[in-house]
Amino acid sequence: MRYLFMCKSLTYAQRSQKLLERAGISANIIKSPSSLSTRGCGYSVSVGYVRGSRAAEILKKSNLLQGKIYLQESIGSYKEVVF
Amino acid sequence: MIYLDSAATSFLKPPSVERAMVRAMHTMASPGRGSYTQAMRASNMMYECRELAGELFNFENTERIVFTSNATHSLNIAIRTMARSGDKVVISGYEHNSVTRVLQDIGARVIVAEAPLFDSEAAIKSFESRLDGAKLVVCNHISNVFGFVQPIYGISELCQRKNIPLIVDASQSAGVCEIDTARLKAAFIAMPGHKGLLGPQGTGILLCGDEPVPILFGGTGSDSIVQTMPDYLPDLLEAGTHNIPGIAGLSEGIRFVLKETPAKIGEYERYLCRRTAERLKNIDELEIFSTELACQTGVLSVRHTVLDSENLCEKLGKRGIACRCGLHCAPIAHKTAGTIDTGTLRISFSPFNSEKEVLTAVNALEKIIVHKK
Repeated sequence: MRYLFMCKSLTYAQRSQKLLERAGISANIIKSPSSLSTRGCGYSVSVGYVRGSRAAEILKKSNLLQGKIYLQESIGSYKEVVF
Repeated sequence: MIYLDSAATSFLKPPSVERAMVRAMHTMASPGRGSYTQAMRASNMMYECRELAGELFNFENTERIVFTSNATHSLNIAIRTMARSGDKVVISGYEHNSVTRVLQDIGARVIVAEAPLFDSEAAIKSFESRLDGAKLVVCNHISNVFGFVQPIYGISELCQRKNIPLIVDASQSAGVCEIDTARLKAAFIAMPGHKGLLGPQGTGILLCGDEPVPILFGGTGSDSIVQTMPDYLPDLLEAGTHNIPGIAGLSEGIRFVLKETPAKIGEYERYLCRRTAERLKNIDELEIFSTELACQTGVLSVRHTVLDSENLCEKLGKRGIACRCGLHCAPIAHKTAGTIDTGTLRISFSPFNSEKEVLTAVNALEKIIVHKK
């Protein structure tokens, strides 16, 4: 299971990824699944289940928590979560 | 060939620039258009370039560092965002057509803050006396014709005091002068990637302190359903496919500048400029536009009492020495300096020019003028 942090743009996703990696949290950038992206193409930062709440805390502190957060339970199955 | 036209473009570059461009062509696709390796590689390279530029200009918000195709493109966005028809816009007496033609097209009421060459105090006073009622100030950091380093921080302080937005044209200063954006507090800072930043042609940067208005509309790889441009940077200003090989080269150029430091590069170019000016002063028929003060960087203009600058330039070209002649797309600068009727021969330097090359060029000019060869 992984958390998806929806980002405003690719550049914000990159900023978020760098910030998380500097804090020792492995993060990947992925194209947001279209079922979650109401405005069309977008990017998300994907973080492992165990580090989700810490990642949210770090992003919030740097004002980078700008979109919804989803828990990906399996491929194609997402549940919105709030930290 | 001895290349002394770096104020036009940096023909001489670190070898890493070319290598990065070739690598990009072989390994990178379009950024922001997919999660596959080649697209992500391009995205990561672009982000790294934004970070390098942020480090060089003390500019923290990487998303507000926008890639453009050149300084003119950057200036068009900045000026069209800030100026409206009829607005009073104060510019320095040394502006380039990339500023004045845009203002002319908008229909702005342009007031020129003229000041004698290499007189920083007079430049400040000239601006100060013209700012009342101004909606915008546009000023270059360094004149592309005379290498005059304008007192941009002083002008910025004046603007801040009167709450007038400032656009800085850093075309000649980026890479050869410290540019502290935190201190400048400019609405926008525009620059090319292919001059002092040593990147390839077709690259430019716009640092956005204010909220810009786009002049180009299209795909950004984001918010694709929405039929207006994304309201966030850099996507708002970066429609269409990026110049990935260009930005890869620019990245390496900036990396070189960061390693050597703008101060060191600027000092070396200034040294070459002074050496050239000292030697050329021995030729009676030449008028040299130089100063011993620190307010001139590696750009030197000269003119002959009789011969056209075009004539001198052509003769130098035949000897394998590349300089530029004419008005350098900056007629206002020539009006201010009193050279509008003749133009000048411009010699401009690079961190890759040797002193020997410069002396060879000076000797060639001497032969052309003194010995009429």
